[in-house]
Amino acid sequence: MADLEIKDLRVSVEDREILKGISLGISKGEVHAVMGPNGSGKSTLSNTLMGHPGYKVEGGEVLFKGKDILQLTPDARSRLGIFLALQYPVVVPGITMNNFLRTALNAHRGYDGKDKSKAVSPKEFRSLVEPHLETLKIEKSFLSRYINEGFSGGEKKRVEILQMAVLKPELAILDETDSGLDIDSIKYVSAAINQLRGPDLGVLIITHYTRILEFIKPDFVHVLVNGSFVLSGGPEVADLLEAKGYSEWVDEPAPAEEVSA
Amino acid sequence: MAFTKESVEEIASLHGEPDWLRTRRREAWEVYERIGLPDRSEEEWRRVDFKGLDLETFAAFEPANGAAPGLPIEGAAGVLQQRGSQPGQVELEEELRRKGVIFMPLSQAAKEHPELVRDRLFSEVKADRDKFAAAHAALFSGGTLLYVPDNVEIERPILGQYWSSGGGAAILPHTLIVAGCNARFNYLDEFLSPSLDEPAFTSGSAEIFVGEGAAVGYVSLQKWGRHAYQFANQRAHIAKDGSARIFNVTLGGRFAKVRCEANLQGHGASAELKGVYFASGDQFFDFHTLQDHQTGDTTSDLLFKGALEDTARVVYAGLIRIEKGAAHSDAYQANRNLVLSDHAKATSIPMLEIDNNDVRCTHGATVGPVDPMSLWYLESRGIPTATATRMIVQGFFGEVVDRIPFEQARHLVEEELEARLG
Repeated sequence: MADLEIKDLRVSVEDREILKGISLGISKGEVHAVMGPNGSGKSTLSNTLMGHPGYKVEGGEVLFKGKDILQLTPDARSRLGIFLALQYPVVVPGITMNNFLRTALNAHRGYDGKDKSKAVSPKEFRSLVEPHLETLKIEKSFLSRYINEGFSGGEKKRVEILQMAVLKPELAILDETDSGLDIDSIKYVSAAINQLRGPDLGVLIITHYTRILEFIKPDFVHVLVNGSFVLSGGPEVADLLEAKGYSEWVDEPAPAEEVSA
Repeated sequence: MAFTKESVEEIASLHGEPDWLRTRRREAWEVYERIGLPDRSEEEWRRVDFKGLDLETFAAFEPANGAAPGLPIEGAAGVLQQRGSQPGQVELEEELRRKGVIFMPLSQAAKEHPELVRDRLFSEVKADRDKFAAAHAALFSGGTLLYVPDNVEIERPILGQYWSSGGGAAILPHTLIVAGCNARFNYLDEFLSPSLDEPAFTSGSAEIFVGEGAAVGYVSLQKWGRHAYQFANQRAHIAKDGSARIFNVTLGGRFAKVRCEANLQGHGASAELKGVYFASGDQFFDFHTLQDHQTGDTTSDLLFKGALEDTARVVYAGLIRIEKGAAHSDAYQANRNLVLSDHAKATSIPMLEIDNNDVRCTHGATVGPVDPMSLWYLESRGIPTATATRMIVQGFFGEVVDRIPFEQARHLVEEELEARLG
């Protein structure tokens, strides 16, 4: 059994069924890409895995490390080792990135405000965060700013990957991390993800476009159309989409290029 | 027990007040007797619930009693501590005394410095505004005068602390602050009592006169017990190029009706009116704010933010008034409410009255729960719901708490809010 087992997952939003029974297994060390046209259910998949309150699971199960995560709160899923880099990171005024990262890290270590020995020390915190700032080309001053407030699209995405790097998940879901990124940002983000890639990390890349897959090579590619997987295979599936787009399934132009913001 | 004409005379005699002040108390008493409780068909009082308040039940005076609490901040340049209705004990740095700073109970100031008190007392906070203001002007006791002469700057804050340990009485301190030209200083008023069974009738009014080019920071921290009904009027009169930063913190009381007003009188005058409140249990808070631009080139910036829990109710109504001659005025007003319980209710009413077109006015109001997307985002990083909610509420307050005029008060208010968040 794979570390993440999605079995016949059905999900609806506002009484409309979006995911119509999908199954997928991801083991640590593997990089999977789920590709699909707009409205195919890609974000529904990633948000459901993280327990987004707007999505309703109608059936199926999702096991991670043998546990049924659909029964767990989002914070418990995170502490179990799942990370979602959001397509649209949320702006939270009044809370600094520093406070956010530190509190998240402490929560992962089981520090609940009582046993100070479990809390991350300022020195250790710096040593965990600063090397990734370098890779992701994030100014240190971002840490004293409020969560995502006033960040550009690219900055938000880079800061998502920073959080991933600090929390060291066992399963990382990257939801359209490449959308809205200029080519430099894609390089920084990909470099950071490739650094984290290894036998202890499973990756699920959700994307419309093939561009990011030139930088992060997937082991498996799955095509999601209208709430179901229509094709699964190796990296060659991405090449096929690059050439032909989703035209075999939907009336939409080729997905290879995107106007970057 | 009830308020009587005799209690007015008694309070005047008790502290040997001069005749002019006794006359003024009598005039206020006449107003008190003449007018009834506010008409609840009037817009200002429509949402105000006096339930449980009976003015006939209060003693006019509370003798000093009970253990004095510690001081809320360290290193104040001057401290006045009032117990009950008794005029307070004052400490003031010798150097400030030499520079002409006057800091003393109002009754004493009325005798010794009538030239500072007489024309100003109740000129901004008028006795005939409503029955509660009349009671306050007729029966105020203790209170404070702070006078800072021209060009005197005080580095460390001045502190007034008002403590009541009994129920059933009126505790009506009044703060009169007079800042000479180019004077600069910060002031903190703290009002506190334990929560008792018997209701108390309290105020905590302040009149702040900001001279030309002066800069005054005033923070009022209200922590009356849950038995208290508070009626307070805080108003600043700001002369040319003067600046007032008024910060109202309302946490205590069963009921609080607070007016917070800036009277921008001189060209180039500026006012910051900021407020933070946390209402829980069955607390009722009502805030009325006024940014009165009497003349041109004046600036006002208002932000009141609060959280509500349980069955608490909050009403905010704020008016920006731009008078005809007040060209190039710039006014901003915002009220934000974070509603943490389905049974709590906040009402926000922003108002504009503009008689000059060459101005900039912005206002806005929000009432809503913790943003579910913010909560999910924090949770998705492993932060448990309770911690995440707490962080979001702290963040919500942070934006306004950062604007508290001086650091000691900022720390104090942060701690108070932390304690309320549990």
